[in-house]
Amino acid sequence: MNIFVEKSGITRRQFFKGAGILAATAVFAGVLAKIGIDIYKASDKYIEKRIAGLYTLDEKMTIRKSHENPEIIQIYKEFLSPGEVRPLSEKAHHLLHTKYGNDIPKLITELTAHGGHHAA
Amino acid sequence: MNTVATKEIINIDEKKCKSCDHCTSVCPTGAIQGRIGVKHYIDHKKCVNCGQCLINCPFGAITDISMVEKVKKALADPQKFVVVQTAPAVRVALGEEFGLEPGTNVKGKMFASLRKLGFDKVYDTEFTADLTIMEEGTELIHRIFAHAGVPGYEKEGPLPQFTSCCPAWIKYAEDKYPKILPHLSSAKSPQQMFGAVAKTYAAEKLGINPADMFVVSVMPCTAKKFECQREEMIASGFQDVDAVITTRELAQMIKEAGIDFRSLSNEEQADRLIGTSTGAATIFGVTGGVMEAALRTAYEILSGQSLGVVEFKAVRGRKPVREATVNIPVKELGKTVPLNVCIVTGLSHVDGVVEDVLAGRSKYHFIEVMNCPGGCINGGGQPIRRDTY
Repeated sequence: MNIFVEKSGITRRQFFKGAGILAATAVFAGVLAKIGIDIYKASDKYIEKRIAGLYTLDEKMTIRKSHENPEIIQIYKEFLSPGEVRPLSEKAHHLLHTKYGNDIPKLITELTAHGGHHAA
Repeated sequence: MNTVATKEIINIDEKKCKSCDHCTSVCPTGAIQGRIGVKHYIDHKKCVNCGQCLINCPFGAITDISMVEKVKKALADPQKFVVVQTAPAVRVALGEEFGLEPGTNVKGKMFASLRKLGFDKVYDTEFTADLTIMEEGTELIHRIFAHAGVPGYEKEGPLPQFTSCCPAWIKYAEDKYPKILPHLSSAKSPQQMFGAVAKTYAAEKLGINPADMFVVSVMPCTAKKFECQREEMIASGFQDVDAVITTRELAQMIKEAGIDFRSLSNEEQADRLIGTSTGAATIFGVTGGVMEAALRTAYEILSGQSLGVVEFKAVRGRKPVREATVNIPVKELGKTVPLNVCIVTGLSHVDGVVEDVLAGRSKYHFIEVMNCPGGCINGGGQPIRRDTY
């Protein structure tokens, strides 16, 4: 290594000057990038507009309560709890409810053992 | 820690990553490793697949796995009866991919374009959102009765009850707070309820062999891609939901098919049977929406009275943690019960709420948690905005 030899390389002083400028630039660029990105992400008016879009749609709907949905009443009366609207029926439990975490392996065993919903 | 299989849904392209560190500031679970100047990567064990990093990356360096080819293959297969469902948040954002303003309602155009793409039945996740309210709302009522000491409800779960629609929140709870799981509603998310009823009830009614049915979801969400692959989601005897595509991917498919989206009629409706929905289901896509929908139904069932004004404006807003008290005259108990509710939007704000519950300090009865700030309308599968001031 002969970079500090005057004739063929640079002096020790020149090296530190260069390295110092490089380091300062790197730090400065890093800080600027971070500020730049924060400004970049700042506009989220579209979130507000999408929210307003859904609330407007809700207001336009003729039926606005889940339990008044005629197809919901139909699926309970014809399939999930024949003859009545009864959430949490046995069939509803089987098809519409689940388990979490450590209870999952047992649930999978039950589901595969019964061979689908027909056994429910 | 991980109780469920970890699927690698979200990935960072090392070649495109500029090491700017912005993603770590939007990641709700600290799953992204790296700092300024170092290439970032995702710790999939901690990742909840929400895709917030993806929609916020200034360099487009983050991607989600795609099931588009699987969907195209099913559509091209004459043996397959391909059924599609669309989440509420998709209909107010899809238009952005075609130059329309955010929030523009393109519900009818969306249904029309799905029919043009060749789906055999175009249904609506909003139908099963209503079904979720029926099941989850009834579950809440039972837990309240159990809490009040009404005989016959001793076996019900504890209060407060947490919502269970958000797959990112579910994975987070399973990974980090196994003790909170009894508090989660056992009701599946609308997406998974849809798959389960499509391959049983709808298949029966339509005379289709469920083995030939292929269920596709269009979701504003990347975590839904994880949810549909969960091993226990097989209540129909088959994988209930076969594939999930995002709002962005649907837009891409529409463009590739050469469909002139903007000129489509906005009057088209979803198919009947499992396609009719209510306004309560529509607001599932907004933070506080599941809560408001549940309140509309729970109030009427508990009180036996019809609501004059259906809006519960107290639960609306964008504050990450909000609370409200709703006084409900409960017929069965013969008194008015103050129902304390809480809404969390942004998973990074949930820890305090969960820890209060675990420590027995919580005053709430019902808590809604959604991973994405603002709700599903700001999900990881939605159109990417590069808006600046």
